[in-house]
Amino acid sequence: MDEKPGWRIGWRNLGRNRRRTWITASGLALGYVAVVVMSGLAGGLVAEMVDNGTGILTGQLQVHSAEYLPDRNLYATVGGRDGVDVETLVRAVASVPEVAAATPRVFGAGLVSTGSATVAGVLMGVDVELEPAVSRILTTLRDGELPRAGHNEILIGSEMANQVAAGPGDTVVLVAPAGDGSLGNDLFVVSGVFETTLTDLDLAWAIAPIDALQTLLALPAGRIHEVAARVDDPWAASDAARAVNAALTEVLGDDLDAEARAWTEFRPEMVDYARLTESMQWVLLVIIFGMAIFGVANTLLMSSFERRKEFALLLALGARPSMIAGSVLAEAVSLAALSLLAGVALAVPILVWWHTAPPDVSWLYGGFTMSGGLMRPILRVEYPWSMLGLTGVSLFFTATVAAVLPAIRSARIPPADTLSGR
Amino acid sequence: MKLPLCSVTANRIAFRSGLLGSAGLALVFLTAPTLAPAARGQAVDRPPPDATPSEIVDYVDRLMRGESSTGEVLMEVLTENWGREMRMTVSSLGTEYALVRILEPKKDAGTATLKSGTEIWNYLPKVDRTIKIPASLMSASWMGSHFTNDDLVKESRLVEDYDITIEYDGSRDGVDVWEFVLIPRPEAPVVWGSIRYQVRKDDLMPVWARYHDEDGSLMRTLTFGDFRTFGDRLVPATMRMVPEDDPGEYTEVRYENLEFDVDLAPDDFSLRQLRARN
Amino acid sequence: MSSSLRLQMRLAVRNLIRQRRRTLLSGAAMVVGMALLVFSRALAEGGHEDWIDAGVRLGSGHVSIQAPEYRRQRTLEHRLTNDDRLAVDAGLAEPGVAQRLVAEAPRLAVQGLASSASSALPVGVTGVDPTAEQGFSLLPERLEAGRYLEPDDRLHAYVGARLAERLDLEPGDRFVLTAQDASGEIVGQMARVVGTFRTGIPEADEALIQIPLRTAQEWLGVPGAVTSIDLLLESSRAVRPVLASLETALGEGSSTVVPLDWREAQPELDAAVRMDDWADYVFHTILFGIAALAIINTILMSVMQRTREFGVLRALGLRRAEVGRLVFTEGMLLTIVSGLTGMLLGLAVVWLFFRDGLDFSSLMREEMTAAGVVIDPVIVPRFHPTQIAQSLFFILSIGILASIYPAWRATRIDVAEAMKFAE
Repeated sequence: MDEKPGWRIGWRNLGRNRRRTWITASGLALGYVAVVVMSGLAGGLVAEMVDNGTGILTGQLQVHSAEYLPDRNLYATVGGRDGVDVETLVRAVASVPEVAAATPRVFGAGLVSTGSATVAGVLMGVDVELEPAVSRILTTLRDGELPRAGHNEILIGSEMANQVAAGPGDTVVLVAPAGDGSLGNDLFVVSGVFETTLTDLDLAWAIAPIDALQTLLALPAGRIHEVAARVDDPWAASDAARAVNAALTEVLGDDLDAEARAWTEFRPEMVDYARLTESMQWVLLVIIFGMAIFGVANTLLMSSFERRKEFALLLALGARPSMIAGSVLAEAVSLAALSLLAGVALAVPILVWWHTAPPDVSWLYGGFTMSGGLMRPILRVEYPWSMLGLTGVSLFFTATVAAVLPAIRSARIPPADTLSGR
Repeated sequence: MKLPLCSVTANRIAFRSGLLGSAGLALVFLTAPTLAPAARGQAVDRPPPDATPSEIVDYVDRLMRGESSTGEVLMEVLTENWGREMRMTVSSLGTEYALVRILEPKKDAGTATLKSGTEIWNYLPKVDRTIKIPASLMSASWMGSHFTNDDLVKESRLVEDYDITIEYDGSRDGVDVWEFVLIPRPEAPVVWGSIRYQVRKDDLMPVWARYHDEDGSLMRTLTFGDFRTFGDRLVPATMRMVPEDDPGEYTEVRYENLEFDVDLAPDDFSLRQLRARN
Repeated sequence: MSSSLRLQMRLAVRNLIRQRRRTLLSGAAMVVGMALLVFSRALAEGGHEDWIDAGVRLGSGHVSIQAPEYRRQRTLEHRLTNDDRLAVDAGLAEPGVAQRLVAEAPRLAVQGLASSASSALPVGVTGVDPTAEQGFSLLPERLEAGRYLEPDDRLHAYVGARLAERLDLEPGDRFVLTAQDASGEIVGQMARVVGTFRTGIPEADEALIQIPLRTAQEWLGVPGAVTSIDLLLESSRAVRPVLASLETALGEGSSTVVPLDWREAQPELDAAVRMDDWADYVFHTILFGIAALAIINTILMSVMQRTREFGVLRALGLRRAEVGRLVFTEGMLLTIVSGLTGMLLGLAVVWLFFRDGLDFSSLMREEMTAAGVVIDPVIVPRFHPTQIAQSLFFILSIGILASIYPAWRATRIDVAEAMKFAE
């Protein structure tokens, strides 16, 4: 007798006791869904952290002079003391395919004062046209409007606004040491107030148009401190940095004092967390399928026990034991296939739903920061491609392993004894 | 644990750029235009010939102090990134009051700093505004110069903080000098490991001061010169500070005018005075 | 009635024993499931408590007692005087607090400037009691060079490693701290680096200095005063009762002294922990679901197998309800016995093998921050009575769920059809 009938008998057996099949398959399918969705949620958590940690302010890629960090030295402008052609520089950075957009920035440290109340802060000069394509800080505007290029207007954080008691329309004095050694000072009108809910930013940051800040800091138009860029796939940022460095050398020469770095370099703790999350998924997989094995094993033992008289008959008729074993295995594999189908059918819509329209769970917990990134209280999911496959494989593996014992026992049935009822 | 990170971050950033020049300004000229802070009481009389090293150094240290003073100063700073020259008027009353006003360069003329008690105010003529500086925002370097807060704010005198001995007593380049070694007292709030001071024997004028860290490495040198009589005192009208690590950089302070024990009262150090144009 | 119950029990037990294979299989599923659940819960609770623990030990403890305005404006102006401290001591002596208190640390914190011969940087300076800190804070453990502060120290400072690097300071070097004292005057204080620490958190390593409390009080002209008294409790679950006791002892709505929960004093830690809670909850619910299904599955099927047997019983005169009750009893007995076994197995495994903690360090890089706390790669599982209660609840509910449907099906058996059922 050839093997094939064994397999057909196997999977057909699933149909014999639909309820049992259904219960077991649902157990496996739910296990699959659980693992896959939880992996998706974990991936979403990481993505959220990276997205917010880099997307609100810093950008996924930054270009600085080699001397600029960690002190944020006012004089260490990109391209050295003579500065650069900012437009060419920004264009060169944006020319790299992985980079979606780039924008120039100037930084100064100074005081924001209404006379009686003074707050020390970071003054950031941005290009109001290009900045929104790279960071979201300008979208966190709460009151008033964004500052206009060419005007002495400033956007301040909500906490800073509280401390100096200033709102849209009020005038403040900005005082900051300037690039020529003097004390830069000028009047700025508060055009608006922003609120990121990150206290560091809301208390100590003030944003002005880049030209206005350069004037305050006695820096010519060619001297900037940073070019920030958006890279849509954050995990491609390292490659993008390499490409940007190459582009800069090509366009602006070898000895340009400018270096591009990806967020993975200046926020290594986020990379750590991502790696940790990934490894935790294995733990999850083991636990869930460990449990599932029991369900499958039980089912198969039951069903093979039920069918022992059939098997005995087949053996008596000359079937090889391996056929019998094969039949049990076939049943297991078919069960796995069925479960996988059900699992995928259930998991995919959930993943798609939570990926495109993540539900809000702010009733459970407010936002908080993790590794410096603000986490929104939503169920965000990133497609766990590798997990989808891996879990499927685990499912088959589980089913197969569960089938081993029943298969062996079935193959070893003593035909005569069984048939005679013992 | 999130510290009140905001204030720390902002402070350190503000600090890093040598901010608070203004606050520093006031603190500098806390009393008289010496780079040592106001002392209580008058200048000391010239010490007798058998004076101890401490007495000699004390005299030199308090050379430029008085109950009140007023003067005009020229300050020149050269750093890696820029060079600047400023002319200022300075007045002080004890340790409580000080007023500094910039005369030149023209674009900064009228900028003034007032210290009154524990409050520090800045007047900015360009925007015609007065702002109060919280003294918690302190800077180590004022106006980007090479003088630190330590040089300026301290209420104590050298003799209080240091044990003073003579290291060399003899001739240098044909001039009879003493070279003193100042070792900080164990609990004195000073950062230096030691200070070496060269003083001329005949007129007790300081020639130079060298500041070392605790390992003995020279950190910076202060040179005195242009000895002139203001009123009835002989003082070094010029002082130049050069950091050891960046020898191309320096800060030089030159007194063009100096009067001691003038007729000043707390009223002369008011906010209104801060905004006055002269 | 009770004799009928006893009969049921005996029948149930006999049936279970008779069908060894099925019983063992279903039982095994339950045992493993329970063990896994217990293990996982203990681990999660341990990890959770660890996180809170690290966060409060680097911060202001489980409960922080402060002046009412201090939370809003952290200046010397809003400090606790000696009198306040006496009131607090009285409060801490209350049994409701004392028995849960692990450590108490008085602190005087200010912002100031640290200057060395080469440079100067803004810092946060905290005057501490070294003995109290040893039992409380994580900083002494993060020692990198030199030593931690000792009770007799006066002019010694424990400095963040990155700060020391920036100021070019090594253990033994002198530096000066400058800050505004209580009257607003700027005052300097000399100190020597006695040790450096590295926590992995940049904000701490670059900007924190600890000096002896008395030195700080002298320096700032506030003898006997502190800006907070921080308490470390046996676990985060002790916070609520302790707060209640303290509020009573200190006077509700006190105008000079207010105890704060760590959730209020450190809101970021709070948010992070709540999220962790929720993630745990989701995970365990899913685990529960999977386990329940596996178990119900096995019991259900074993019942289905015995259709003929039930038919015989019915034919012999057992009423429908009695058959149902029999099945129900079997199911409950099986789940309870195997459930309890599993629970005990789980507890035993954790206690015997993992009491000292599970080391995840191979999965992580050395340092990592989340909500400003460096995650410890070793997680020590923790038990709590509520876990036991929840496990029992789980066992019971599974038992019921797994037994109800089969019991119901058993009542539905048509005697004649059942007899035809070939086993």
